[in-house]
Amino acid sequence: MIWRIKAAHRPARSRICSLMSQLGGIHGPMRQSRFWKRAKTMMGVGADNSICGNPEGRAVILACPPRRMRGALLGCIFTVAISHPLLTHADADAGAGNQTSGPPMFSFAGFGTLGVVHSSEDNAEFTGSEFSPTGAGYGHSWSAAVDSLVGAQVTANLTSKLSAVLQVISEQNYDNTYTPHVEWANLKYQFTPDFDVRIGRTALPVFMLTDTRNIGYASPWVRLPVELYELVGVTSNDGVDGSYRMRVGAGTNTVQLTAGGSDTRFPSSDGPGDVHARGLRVINDTFEAGFATVRLTYGRARVTIADIEPLINAFREFGPQGVSIANKYDVDNRLVNFIGMGMGYDPGKWFVMGEIGHFATNSLVGDNTGWYVSGGPRLGKFTPYVTYAARKVESNRSDPGLTVAALPPYLAGEATELNATLNAKLQSIAVQHTVSTGARWDFMKDLDFKLQVDHTKNGAGSPGTLLDPQPGFKPGGTVNLISATLDFVF
Amino acid sequence: MVSERASARTDRIRLLVVGLALSLASHAAVADVVAVVSAKSTITTLSKSQLADIFLGKVSRLPNGARVVAIDQAEDAPARAEFYLKLADRSAPQMKAYWSKIIFTGRGQPPEEVHSSADMKKRIAADPAAIGYIEESLVDDSVRVVGRVQE
Repeated sequence: MIWRIKAAHRPARSRICSLMSQLGGIHGPMRQSRFWKRAKTMMGVGADNSICGNPEGRAVILACPPRRMRGALLGCIFTVAISHPLLTHADADAGAGNQTSGPPMFSFAGFGTLGVVHSSEDNAEFTGSEFSPTGAGYGHSWSAAVDSLVGAQVTANLTSKLSAVLQVISEQNYDNTYTPHVEWANLKYQFTPDFDVRIGRTALPVFMLTDTRNIGYASPWVRLPVELYELVGVTSNDGVDGSYRMRVGAGTNTVQLTAGGSDTRFPSSDGPGDVHARGLRVINDTFEAGFATVRLTYGRARVTIADIEPLINAFREFGPQGVSIANKYDVDNRLVNFIGMGMGYDPGKWFVMGEIGHFATNSLVGDNTGWYVSGGPRLGKFTPYVTYAARKVESNRSDPGLTVAALPPYLAGEATELNATLNAKLQSIAVQHTVSTGARWDFMKDLDFKLQVDHTKNGAGSPGTLLDPQPGFKPGGTVNLISATLDFVF
Repeated sequence: MVSERASARTDRIRLLVVGLALSLASHAAVADVVAVVSAKSTITTLSKSQLADIFLGKVSRLPNGARVVAIDQAEDAPARAEFYLKLADRSAPQMKAYWSKIIFTGRGQPPEEVHSSADMKKRIAADPAAIGYIEESLVDDSVRVVGRVQE
């Protein structure tokens, strides 16, 4: 799920603070999310100053264990599991034949990408993800932060049926550090060769390539099309999944069921914002026959984004009309749904693929659709490609808001500001389409080089997926990106 | 003797092409490569699509329930490049990208590797469940050819 908090319209700092004090409705944490940071930037207030500081804010965040802490916990579970003496014996039913052909006890593998990207837009940031704080554009003409990462994975085959995977990745985190985090840590029990269950942290199987999004070497492009893949930004699941594979005609069909939850942090200068997803349920079905793949997915979750509560609560203070607006846009335990379909055909000498996904939040985040088609020939060591990708929004991008004329004069100004903030957020929902051309060059063993040019046209009034718009930024414009990456596996 | 000479020749070829292995991979057709199982195996013949499913890790059992375990040659072995090019029209980097997807999603591991065609033959001969590939000229009565992967 993507969450972007933007304010093209910036109410004066004193106004919004006094409004909140008057209304007395701001009891939640008032943290400096991107929204507030941007709002202040536009107001000429340094990002380090709090607007209406609430020292209790951090305590509220910690009520739910942070992702990193839970990652460490998962890492501990993994370590205990692989060092448990009972589990290090070969499974009883592993016969002599299995012993000789079984996989090694431990296997280690790694992957990484070194990349740079330049944006033609100087007044906003292209970060590639809602959850990354910096990118190319306003802050840096060229950015290595967008695509670069390194990851390592240990797989432990504890018995012939029980295995464990720990994957750790170092990349730009929400807090602008590169501290490695536990991407995945799970135990898998292989009941039969075609049926397994995993417990722990796994990839959230949103779209066709979500679970390999970090593996540049496995991808034909510099990065996955943001129009689709940033639609649902939550990419890991803490819970359980089961996968069942069966032969259907000449192909194989795999059904995967996933249940769990996820906490994902997005950047800000004063304590990160959180996207909490609870009650995650995903079903997906992949059919593969020969060179063809078809994949369908449906998922739902209850999502909370506490950072928008100050705005929502401010509306709630304005009587029934305000409550109605608040209820319409709130993201507090909001039921969201996503559905996706993908197809690919890769006979080796060329490839073509396409996907479409719809993400319905019934909230301030909007109901959005993203899709892409891509293809290219394989010419020896070169794989040139062309991709067309688009994002649109089906829900409203403006709202009449509170009826200012019906309010007492002393509230009219504040109501006008709230309406403006709401509309700025609705306007900032990404609408864009991109033509990308590039090539992959497999110039050395386990190493590729890619060059890609993206030409993006943002929808009228929309900043597209750009973040941190600065004074002088014009929504609805055209943006060109040029990117180069080296991908490796080891 | 024949197999030793062939093996030595293969090694020389490998040395010659090692620096250019990837660039020449699609042209380095050293010999016809055939899929083999142990002479003790019950498998007699496999179709190209069955072989592709086995070596791409999509199946681990045949329709009759027999277990199969794919064995690969070393990554720089000419027979390996030839085998996957004929079997699935995929170059060495394409296969590496394919397995990267599976490894880094925790969905599986690529086949066990042996160092040479000679090692492959020994490995296959000893294990009724194993399936591998060698140059056709190396086939002897310890292994059985179950499939050819010509285009």
